[in-house]
Amino acid sequence: MLVLTNVLFVGIPVTTGLIVDALQGGRPDEVPRLAALMVAFAAGTAITRILSRVWIFNAARAAEYDLRGDLFRHLLRLDLPWYRAHPTGDVMSRLTNDVQTVRAMWGAGILNVINTLVAFVTVIAMMVRVDPWLTLWACLPYPTIAVLGRIFGKRVYKTSQAVQAQLGALSNEIQEDLTSIQAIKSYGLEGVRKERFRVSSQKLLEKNMALTRVRGQLGPAFAALGALSSIVVLWVGGRAVMRGDIALGQLVEMSGYLARLVWPTLALGWMLSLLQRGRASWNRLETLFAERPTVTDGDGGRLDATELRGGVEVRDLKVALGGRTILDGVSFTVPAGTTTAIVGRTGSGKSTLVEAICRLVDIPPGTVFLDGRDVTSLTLRDLRQAIGYAPQEAFLFSTTIADNVAFGYGAGSSIPRARAEELERVTGSLAPHLGIPAFTEGAPDPRITAAAEAAGLTRDLAAMPDHYATVVGERGITLSGGQRQRVALARAIASDPRLLILDDSLSSVDAETEKVILERLQQVLAGRTALLISHRVAAVKNAHQIVVLDEGKVAETGTHAQLLARGGVYAELYRTQLAAQAAGLPAEAAS
Amino acid sequence: MSAGRAAPPAVASRATAGESNLGKAYDVRLMRRLARFVWPHWRLLVVSALLIPLTIALDLAQPYVVKIAIVDHIAKGDGDGLGVLALVFLGLVAAQSVSAYVEQWAIQLLGQRSMHDLRLAIYDHVLGRRAAFFDRMPVGRLMTRMTNDIESLNEMFAAGVVTLFADAIKMIAIACIMFSIDWELTLVTFVTLPLLVLLVNYARNAMRTSFRVIRVRLAAMNAFVQEHLLGIKVVQIFRREEAAAREYDMINAGHRDAYLVSIRADAAMYALVEAIGILAIALVAWWAARDLGVSGDTIATVGIVVVFIEYINKFFIPVRDLSAKYAVMQGAMAATERIVELLDTEEPDAPPGQARPSARAQGALAQGERAAVAFDRVEFAYGDEPVLRGVSFEIPRGKTVAIVGATGSGKSTLIKLLTRLYEIGDGAITIDGADIRSLPPADLRRRVTVVSQDAALFAGTVFDNIALGAVASGRSVTRDEVARAASRVGLDRLLARRAEGLDAPVGDRGSAFSAGERQLLVFARALVRNPEILVLDEATAHVDPEAEELIERGVDELMRGRTTLVIAHRLSTIRHADQIVVLDRGRVVERGTHDELVAKGGAYAQLERTFHRSGN
Repeated sequence: MLVLTNVLFVGIPVTTGLIVDALQGGRPDEVPRLAALMVAFAAGTAITRILSRVWIFNAARAAEYDLRGDLFRHLLRLDLPWYRAHPTGDVMSRLTNDVQTVRAMWGAGILNVINTLVAFVTVIAMMVRVDPWLTLWACLPYPTIAVLGRIFGKRVYKTSQAVQAQLGALSNEIQEDLTSIQAIKSYGLEGVRKERFRVSSQKLLEKNMALTRVRGQLGPAFAALGALSSIVVLWVGGRAVMRGDIALGQLVEMSGYLARLVWPTLALGWMLSLLQRGRASWNRLETLFAERPTVTDGDGGRLDATELRGGVEVRDLKVALGGRTILDGVSFTVPAGTTTAIVGRTGSGKSTLVEAICRLVDIPPGTVFLDGRDVTSLTLRDLRQAIGYAPQEAFLFSTTIADNVAFGYGAGSSIPRARAEELERVTGSLAPHLGIPAFTEGAPDPRITAAAEAAGLTRDLAAMPDHYATVVGERGITLSGGQRQRVALARAIASDPRLLILDDSLSSVDAETEKVILERLQQVLAGRTALLISHRVAAVKNAHQIVVLDEGKVAETGTHAQLLARGGVYAELYRTQLAAQAAGLPAEAAS
Repeated sequence: MSAGRAAPPAVASRATAGESNLGKAYDVRLMRRLARFVWPHWRLLVVSALLIPLTIALDLAQPYVVKIAIVDHIAKGDGDGLGVLALVFLGLVAAQSVSAYVEQWAIQLLGQRSMHDLRLAIYDHVLGRRAAFFDRMPVGRLMTRMTNDIESLNEMFAAGVVTLFADAIKMIAIACIMFSIDWELTLVTFVTLPLLVLLVNYARNAMRTSFRVIRVRLAAMNAFVQEHLLGIKVVQIFRREEAAAREYDMINAGHRDAYLVSIRADAAMYALVEAIGILAIALVAWWAARDLGVSGDTIATVGIVVVFIEYINKFFIPVRDLSAKYAVMQGAMAATERIVELLDTEEPDAPPGQARPSARAQGALAQGERAAVAFDRVEFAYGDEPVLRGVSFEIPRGKTVAIVGATGSGKSTLIKLLTRLYEIGDGAITIDGADIRSLPPADLRRRVTVVSQDAALFAGTVFDNIALGAVASGRSVTRDEVARAASRVGLDRLLARRAEGLDAPVGDRGSAFSAGERQLLVFARALVRNPEILVLDEATAHVDPEAEELIERGVDELMRGRTTLVIAHRLSTIRHADQIVVLDRGRVVERGTHDELVAKGGAYAQLERTFHRSGN
């Protein structure tokens, strides 16, 4: 299509040349026919050009779509430690800025490469037809393009990398300042921080100007190349006309061809910077694609969910993250169908321990067993399907409460129907792809209502405008910390799991509600294996077993009564909390 | 473990809010706001404005030289002047290159300087907001304003408005030259203009609608991704990888297809403008041929036709590229709108408020004591939720008052009110009898130093971070002074383990330092600051026993002889306080010395007994 476009496009200077010849040769009556031919060529060019541009840009968008999809799927497979080491902002910047730049390279870049090549080939072929010698003369300046390309390519790459680096530095500074805003205000640091920011912003200005200078030279350099060619043709061709070697019309035709080369040549310069920037972005994306999750599926066969009993054994588990030892030889057994509580100070490794059981962090084989099977031999899907887990940070998606709970048993959508409809409304009739299944319509699944009931959400839901269809999040209802925790709790129990892990799931719930939920939880926990992390004695004293963690090691294990009698860490915790509760004081003040 | 720490941001921002408003490519009100930042650099604008016509003239003179060469020399067989003309042509090309380069350089420098100023203005404005503003505004969004949005504006300078301006001048100039050569042929050429206007209008409308759709879809897509990255743990635990990927495909496809219309409009614009240009050339040729039949002046006609072809080509190129520029302008306007919206946010930090005549509650003070700080029936609410309800107490000069209370009892709010990070709802806080709202905020914050549990460290060295303490008072700190402060709080012992000592780099918010080291570093900073009134928010995080002991000593050192308000978590701190204020759900329920409160047998006494039993 592009070739056809350019071939047709060459017809235009040919007819122009013929017209000039006709005018000069005193045959003006031929002109209307030639002019009509030229218009026909123009129409043909327009049609093929529209088709080829639409095709290429759509292809680039389609490629961008695939790239985004692949990237997102890849990201979802990377493990938690990777995410803790890579700020979300950085990853987002890959998915937005870098993908855009690569797409620009594909769309506009490829279009121009093909256009330029075809334009050069066809135009030179036509020129040779008119006069080979003159063509040779006209092409004389063009080999310099290679030299210019090499010089400018490197400079564009280097200067634009410098701009990106400085932009990154500036962003970091802004982030540092904004997250420390209270300290800045209390210490009156506005002046120094502002000065620092000014210096960084000034540096960015300078880097940007360096890039501007390179780009500013690029355009004129390539334009001058085209002009040089025109001069040569005028000079050499002019003499040829005077000698009578070629007709004046041929010279005009020749100039016409050269004019066709001006834009492809200029585009070449522009493309150069586009391709260099695209290359840099593509390299960054490749680095990201090269990241491999450390936590991978085991190959020890399937886990039959119906046969699962939920017994857990932890054997000399050691976990180090970022060079720091978090768990240092933890061992304990949770018999199937019993509840084990894990207590310990902040930083003692409780959350890491349950993350290790779910294999959210990498663990060595032979350290954690589920029903006697090494969890590293299971597929991640089977393992996690067996577990209902309410993590400490009660992260909810900005969809309906029903959907959030339904995630627990693998249903639900993170795009609520209401938002999909709103998107369609805002964007007009152009949104055929946003027809999200209407999961949130009608009566919620009984699994959702049962889980919400058990998590003590029913009363809260009744007070909300759309009940189960209430959308959580910035533009929906802002739930309190306690409400969020209870939705996360409902999500964990919705799948009726054999093994339930609750990581400090009621810390933001007030004492009265906690009591009610704990009573209900007793029924939920009956017959299930459960691991409970809590700071509150009230929540753990009924457990069959209590494991006290201290600095990554098991300090003591036993029942509430046994540990009290032992008079160790747990006994101390119990006494201070009991008194603090009586006094209405925080546990922290007493510990 | 406080309730607040267990509560993460529930969901990522759904960026569709505020992104859905229709972006125009040009908005007078917004342009006027931008003009304020561009205006101070008007000299560069003048340089550029002077060079634009020059560049255009140099460019447009080139076909004219070709015309002279063909008509006066080549066609007449006169080769003498040809060399001179070639040189003139060469000179024109070189001059045009230089002029275009300088013009671009000037306009870019103008853009960069204006954007630099704008960036500083945003930074300045943001830093001048009160603390509540930051509670609401995600850091990411503020960062976008200062980086990406500014970059889009920059693009406008690179490719947008200025070039548009130059293009317009160029097109008018071309029209004038054509008129001067042959007005009849010019009219024939511009017969095609209505077609052009129709086309541009169609493309503009199509693109405007398309861009709005694109923006909304793009924002929705980015919000979706961000949310799933933030909630990756939940995604993986509940095995939502595939479901999320499928949903993403849907949103992603919506985003891809949003471009269909704009791609079509862009292609149509580009190709049809070119075709209309050729149509104009054909019309000119046809008209000239008709004329030739009448006049018979072959040479003149050929020359004119050739030069018209050149000018028509030059005339249509800027029109052809209009759609690309339109996209840039559109993006820049949308960015400007978001920036202006941010610059228009109110909520200034510590505005000069009306100080209320305070009836100071002096009752609890012994004879001869003077209240350095007094809270007088202080009320405060977050939205509708009351946090402090009529809190009154005094801190006599040089004494220590400890605040004890459960999480959510309003302890931290007291500190924020005292430094005016938040504004008091009702009642008053006075320092030496003066309402804090009557003091200049800078003075207030110089006199009151807060040492809080989230030890804010900045990139630099340990020395830099400690020396920051003296910044507000404007004096420079010697290395000796910093070293003394470090040793007084016991930081020197921990620093001795690092080879660089005081010059140890503090990167990435101090992640290379332990909680204990960070705490002591902040103590040293406070010592250098040497505040009149110290506010200490004791950290709840546990540290190793050695650091614990060092911190305890550091706290003692810091409090020595200073008027101190401490939010206490350590029994030793509480016991050594001159007065203890027990806070419960925003009210003072008990106050007195340790002995008094123990004797009273209330809430504090009960707590105290527990401490004893557990041997703490």
